[in-house]
Amino acid sequence: MSPAEPLRDAPSPWKDLLEQAGSGRSSSAILDRLATEFLHSSNLGSFGLYRLEDEQYSRRFIAGAEPLPATFGVADVGAYATREIPGGIMLYEPGPAREGQLDEHLLLTLLCALEAAELGNQLKRHSFAANLRGVELQSLYDVGLAIAGTLDQDKLGDEVLLRAVSLLDARVGALYLRDGDEYRLDRTFGGDARERVASDDPGLVALLEGETSGEPLLPGTQYPLCVPIEADVKPLGLLVVADKESRTGVGPFAEADERMLGLFANQAAIALENANLHRQALEKERLERELDLAADIQRQLLPTVLPDVEGYEFAGWSRPARHVGGDYYDLQGSAEEGVHLVLGDVSGKGMPAALLVSTLHSALRLLLSARPFDAELVRSVNSHIADSSAANKFITMTAARLDPTSGSMRYVNAGHNPPLLVRRDGSIEELPPGGMPLGIVGNAPYADASIDLKAGDLLCIFSDGITECETPEGEEYGPERLGDLLRSVAEAPLTEIIEAIDRTCVDFAAGGPQGDDQTVVLVRRSA
Amino acid sequence: MADMLKVTLDSRDGLAVVYTEGYINNQGGEEIAKVAYDLIEEGQKCVLLNLAGTKIVNSIGISILIEIIEKMLEIDGKLAFCSLTPTIEKTFHIMGLAQYASIFPDEDSAVAALTS
Repeated sequence: MSPAEPLRDAPSPWKDLLEQAGSGRSSSAILDRLATEFLHSSNLGSFGLYRLEDEQYSRRFIAGAEPLPATFGVADVGAYATREIPGGIMLYEPGPAREGQLDEHLLLTLLCALEAAELGNQLKRHSFAANLRGVELQSLYDVGLAIAGTLDQDKLGDEVLLRAVSLLDARVGALYLRDGDEYRLDRTFGGDARERVASDDPGLVALLEGETSGEPLLPGTQYPLCVPIEADVKPLGLLVVADKESRTGVGPFAEADERMLGLFANQAAIALENANLHRQALEKERLERELDLAADIQRQLLPTVLPDVEGYEFAGWSRPARHVGGDYYDLQGSAEEGVHLVLGDVSGKGMPAALLVSTLHSALRLLLSARPFDAELVRSVNSHIADSSAANKFITMTAARLDPTSGSMRYVNAGHNPPLLVRRDGSIEELPPGGMPLGIVGNAPYADASIDLKAGDLLCIFSDGITECETPEGEEYGPERLGDLLRSVAEAPLTEIIEAIDRTCVDFAAGGPQGDDQTVVLVRRSA
Repeated sequence: MADMLKVTLDSRDGLAVVYTEGYINNQGGEEIAKVAYDLIEEGQKCVLLNLAGTKIVNSIGISILIEIIEKMLEIDGKLAFCSLTPTIEKTFHIMGLAQYASIFPDEDSAVAALTS
């Protein structure tokens, strides 16, 4: 006990001190001063105040030079002088000079100050605990805000782990993320952690059930606590802490700690899901950009300038069902060289079909620039397609060469739906297949055929996306309806005929999605 | 093995500045308390704790910091903090430390205020 100034001559001696003792601030110094005064006024060598608990006296306060016991039994007061006090007893050692009278007034003041100090300390502890609950709520709120405010997974991982370690008074913590059939260490705080752990690791399974066995996730720790991070039962990771601290060492976590860790794991699940969704959205955006680029490239394969041949009109139109499609058409040539017409339809849709369209385009352009059009040319194209496409991929195609002077058109129909030739008198002829689709059999035979286009005749080559468009009930449009439509608009400008086909298909589908790529090539001999 | 808090001590314009690096938990708090109580023994009445190297504090660490503040108040001294992360600063406000200890955004402003 440190020496203290006696209070005897102080004005208003103890009232202020009692209030201060109750405030919790400097209470030990105040008790020391009162005890010094009590020792002095009662001529004591030492004294101790004891509380009776379960047949045992335990010490609340001690002052003076002589050692006094920390605890003793009710029947074991020993050689000390005693004085009953409220709730307990006082042991005291009389001073050497004389056995003085106890200063009852000062003893009562000291007891009041001790009570006030203990109540003050209790208040401090309750206040501390209440404030700590405030910090917990604030932390959960802040983590929620952080999740809403950023998609930086690194920052969110730190936010969740550090707050969990801090709020649970853990000595060590780690965050694991799911990686296939195992969990991969994402970050750790306060110590080491295993780099990887299998999801069926017996130690982990036991740990998630509240037991400890096997190799610990956090080496060197004694009391681990682990909760899964899950979104809709889908495992995303693990949040692990270990060794709950107190002033005397470390111990196991309480149930309330497990609930709190679970709340942080829920927050982490939201953060991870948000980050995943954001990554997927970015990836989708990137794919969309690539598909737009691919669509641009594919559009460039189609003719931008149509043949300008006196006495003939030409038109072409294509609309893919997705960004890019498997339909292709070409119209090129002149009155002198003749005009080449092509319409191809690759099986399937989307990017795989579009890639094969590029192959077809290149092969045809190269061969047509090098040799005359006939069945042999189509055989060469077929061989090339068969060599460069997957086994389940094929192309139906109608290709033709028109001699504008004579009106004679030589064509090969490679497994394509028969083009329709609407004669001026309204009769309709079909251009039947002369071989199987391209790419199925490398050395397949093809036969060409010829027709004559006369003034007023309209030829329509189309993909099956036109005739196979369906009503919501599943009824197909069909070549008969297309023939009727062509007959009814045969004398209209070609652009209007294409608009009529487009509109008719849309109306026929009655709001249903476009099921397949749609392409049309029209040729009309006007004179 | 858990990482230990590192504590270093410096003096600026007669002011004791204690730097921490790591977790202020039970062990970390005790390290700080040891340095702070030595400074009190040496008659130092104003101590600045620079927590720039500390990301987190737990409740045990906070209770030790409160004890240091109380010790300083008993000798009419002062403990101040600077360079806290936003999370730690918010925690100190909620836990009541800010009522009895000044908090400064950085060391320069703390030294200027505490030595004037």
